[in-house]
Parts: sequence; structure tokens; C-alpha cells
Amino acid sequence: MAPLLELVHVKKRFGQVTIAEDVSFAVEQGAAVGIVGPNGAGKTTLFGVVSGDVRPDAGDVVFDGRVVNRLDPAARCRLGIGRTYQVPRPFDKMTVFENVLVAAQQGARARGGVSHAHALRALESTRLSDDANRLAGSLGLLQRKRLELARAIATQPRLLLLDEVAGGLTDLEVRELVDVVRAANAQGIAVIWIEHVVRALLATVDRLLCLAGGEVIGDGLPRDVLASPRVRDVYLGTDATAAESVA
Amino acid sequence: MTTGAAPVPPTVEAGSLPGVTRSARPTAWLGGLGVGVVVLLAFMPSIVSQADTSILLNFFILLTMSSMWNLLAGYAGMVSIGQQAFVGLGAYTVLVLADGGFNPVAAIPIAALVCAALSVPISLLVFRLRGGYFAIATWVVADAASLVISSIGSLGGGTGKPVPGLSSLSPKSFEQVTYWAALAVVVVAVGMTYALLRSRLGLVLAAVRDNEVGARSAGARVVTARRIVFLVAALGCGAAGALLAVSQLNVQPASVFNVQWSAEMIFVTMIGGIGTIEGPILGSVVFFLLQQNLAHEGAWYLIIFGALAVVIAIWAPRGLWGTATAKLRVQLFPVGYYVGRTRRRDRPGSAPPAPPAPPVASTV
Repeated sequence: MAPLLELVHVKKRFGQVTIAEDVSFAVEQGAAVGIVGPNGAGKTTLFGVVSGDVRPDAGDVVFDGRVVNRLDPAARCRLGIGRTYQVPRPFDKMTVFENVLVAAQQGARARGGVSHAHALRALESTRLSDDANRLAGSLGLLQRKRLELARAIATQPRLLLLDEVAGGLTDLEVRELVDVVRAANAQGIAVIWIEHVVRALLATVDRLLCLAGGEVIGDGLPRDVLASPRVRDVYLGTDATAAESVA
Repeated sequence: MTTGAAPVPPTVEAGSLPGVTRSARPTAWLGGLGVGVVVLLAFMPSIVSQADTSILLNFFILLTMSSMWNLLAGYAGMVSIGQQAFVGLGAYTVLVLADGGFNPVAAIPIAALVCAALSVPISLLVFRLRGGYFAIATWVVADAASLVISSIGSLGGGTGKPVPGLSSLSPKSFEQVTYWAALAVVVVAVGMTYALLRSRLGLVLAAVRDNEVGARSAGARVVTARRIVFLVAALGCGAAGALLAVSQLNVQPASVFNVQWSAEMIFVTMIGGIGTIEGPILGSVVFFLLQQNLAHEGAWYLIIFGALAVVIAIWAPRGLWGTATAKLRVQLFPVGYYVGRTRRRDRPGSAPPAPPAPPVASTV
């Protein structure tokens, strides 16, 4: 089976800073992949390259066998690439339901009752149903993170890009979020998850990529990647205990 | 998904979803109220004096224009100070058609469509710019249109020309016909605004207003949405300009292409409440009440208008309607969504449902 997503020799620099130096990897249909790496390793930029927010200097992004380099974020979303942002971007003056409905109507191109159903299911799977009529601007952090996830799910993606959705949450909240992501993945949605909360990743993914200095320095089973000397070397400065606890 | 043994939450089944309506409260009476107001307005020429009929007609024209400007700036984030381009082009389309023997009143919808068509090439030009640069560019386009038309001798050059074709009507029936034409245009303009904001496009506009990057990542075609709004606003302002030509029976470039039209649209929308359908309606009422009561004060009336605009912009930036309804959440034109309650199935392993949040009407 052809991979769902393929990055081919992607390069990106901001001035003198190299964010991605010849990054290549592929993600299979329905896979669950985690990405770790120190701050500034270019993880979020890599998501931007996949979702269309960031234009790479060189290289190709191939989604479902199609080169999508020239498509804007909306077009890529409509093809099936859903993403969340590290800092949630809710539509504050709209209700939670309306936030998710936009995604169902635009991202999934659904109309009328079908779009309502997509939106309601996304709310239910992220446990936001009780907040459907609240204004998004009145939500707390956990609910904003859930809303960000619900909106991405409502676009009916085949690939879900999660950017630190567990950051800033309590252990219990992280566990709930992991359940939501696992459920989405169980329904066949491929997930790529950038996360500093390594526990959350290990409960969800079966493959881990480690990015550092614009390069993939580890790729494989999470345990192996976190145990590799090169990854541990990078991680000792930032999150040594997490790497230690699984090594 | 091979690692871990955490229980996967039950997947959601279809058939148990709550109902979705467009308002938390019943709204049928609002429709009845709207129909009642329009019917009452339709009989006004038989009830009030000729002078008052003429004031109402100008009220409809201003309300049409400001509803369009509100759509542009309040919903699509495009602050145009060049909408008089379409006012003028609409007026001149009526003039050209009437010169060709066409009935000027029947020419109004055609003029609106011509303006909508012209807005496409104009948008290609001005959409390259954003914010203040966009605003200036629209003004430049309006002045350029004015200059081009002023230089065409057959259109009356800089002094303009009378609109033929309605001289056979008696003053009374002329007054009625133009009044009803204006009423029809304003009903269509406000109705179209409402329909547009209730549609999927309206939801996109609200999302873009709140967070453009988020809207794009949710699949919203931001530029397409803006193009449609620009086109609709050109259509409405073109119809308003056509009404000016018909009701004044005269078209003059300095008058129909005057930037004062945009200033009035902005004033009315700001006073009434930008980003609400009700705002321009309330703003137009206030504008005309002030104008009627202050007209004899000469230049003072403009000074008072300016002072009022400043006061509202600083202390009530949401306008009169927005400020008055901020707490009440009243909507005469419900455009949001409301999710009803359903029986909740027990979900093993999940926390008991939180107490339901109080229903809040949307402010999309």
C-alpha cells in the first residue's frame, strides 16, 4: 500500500536558521506516529509544511500519491489533512457547535443535516457535547484544546496533525485526551503527534521520530528511539527524566 | 495502535444526536413582524405627505448602502471607502439604458447586475492589497471611474444629464413607483444580507473574522468568501445608485461618485452597530432623525454628526444596537445555531456529565 503522506527531501530555512535540512519520511495509512525533539528542532514548521502554512524552500509533500506543494491550507484540509495548532485558534465569538460546524461544512464539504451530524459526533468524541451552545471564547484551556481537536476531527481527515495538544494539562486530562486520539486513530485516521509529554505519546503511537537540528535523528519503535544514544544526547538537556524512565 | 492497554472509549453511534435549530427561542413571530413592517411601509405613500415619502425613499437608499458596507467591513473585514464607485456606476447604467429607450425603473436590477459584473475585474485589482491600502485603493478606483465617465461627452461630461423615460408619469404615481422600487431594493438588500449570513458562507465569514488562520485550517476558502461579499456589496450599492438616478431624474458625476456616500455608510454602520444586521437599520433611523431635526442648523449638523461618531467610536464601539443588546443577546435576525438536548446514554467508564451550561444565543 502506498504511504498516505510522504515528505521528500524537504528543506526550510528562515534566514540563517535551518529548520529542516533534507527531511524525508513516509507515514502509512492509519498509522500513529509521534514526533519529539528539542525546542526549535523544526517540529511545528514541519507540520506547517504538511498543512500548507509554510512553503518549503525545496522538496515535495506527497499526500495520497499526489504532490500537494502548491495547494493552500484550505485545499489540503479538504483533501484530508486536518491539523491542530499548539496555541488553539478558536472562533471566540461563535458557539462551540458553530466552531466545529464550519470545519464540517468546509473541510469535509458536508451540507445540512450531514454537516450537523459530523459536527455533533466530533463534539461527542471530544466530550464537548455539553458545551455545544457555549461561546468558544468562554472555554478553559482543556476545553479549548479539545475544541481544537474536535474541529480537526470534524473535517473528516485521513491524516490528523496534532501539535502539543497535551501541553499544559493535568495527568487526568492528558489521559482523557489520549483516549480521544486513540479513538480517532482506531477509526482509521492516521495521526502524527508532536508532543513534549512523552507519556501521552507512548500510550498512543507505535512509531517515534526524533527531530533535531533540522534532521531526523531517530525513527522507529518508541522504545528504541528513546534508547538510542544520539536521541538521549539531544534529550538530556530538555526532558531527561522522560527519556530515562523508558530507557 | 499496538501499545498500551487503556480502554478505548465507545465509538459514537448515529441516531442519537440532538436536534439543531437556528435559535434558542421560537422566531416565527419575528418573520411575522418583518412582513408586517414591510406591508406597513408599502402603504406609507398613501398615509404620509409627499415630503415624508421622499425622506423614506432616501432612508431606503442609505439603508441599502450601509447594509452592504456592513457586510463588507463588519463581516468580511474589508474596509472600503470606495463603494461610491458602484453607486455611480449603477446610476450611470440606468442613464445609459434610459437613453436607449429602456424603462428606468426596470433598469434598476440590470444596473445592479452590471455593477456586480464590474466588481469582478475591480476585485482583481484591489484584492492585492489589505487593510488601509485596500481602503485607499477602493477610493482610487471610485475616483478613476468618476474621471473616466466625466470625460465621456455622450453621458453629459462633468455636468451630467437628466434621466429620460419617466416624464409621462404624474407626480403622484412617479413618487409611488420610485418609492416602491426603493422599498423593493431595500427589502431584497436586507433579506439577501440575512440569507447570506445564515448560509454556510455566513459561518465562514464569522470564522474568518474570529481567526483567519484557524478558518483556513478548517478548510474555509477565505478569498472566495471575500470575493462573494465584494460582489454582493457591489450589487447592492449599484441598486442604490440606480435608485438615486431614478428618484432624482438626473445623474451628475460629482454627486453620484461622491465619497460622501461611503462616509454616510460608515457613519450609519458605526452608529448602529457594525457586524450586526440590525445595526445599519438602527443607524439609518438615527441618521435620518438627526438630519431632519438639525437640517436648519446649517454646518452645525455635520459637526454634531462628527461629534456623535467620535463619542460612539470611543465609548460604545459596538454601536447603539451592539451595546444595547450585549447583555440581552436579542437578535431580530437569528443567524447562529442552537443544539437541543437529547437523552444521554450512560457511558461506562466516563465521568458523569457536567451540569448543562446555560443556553447562550450565538452572536455570529
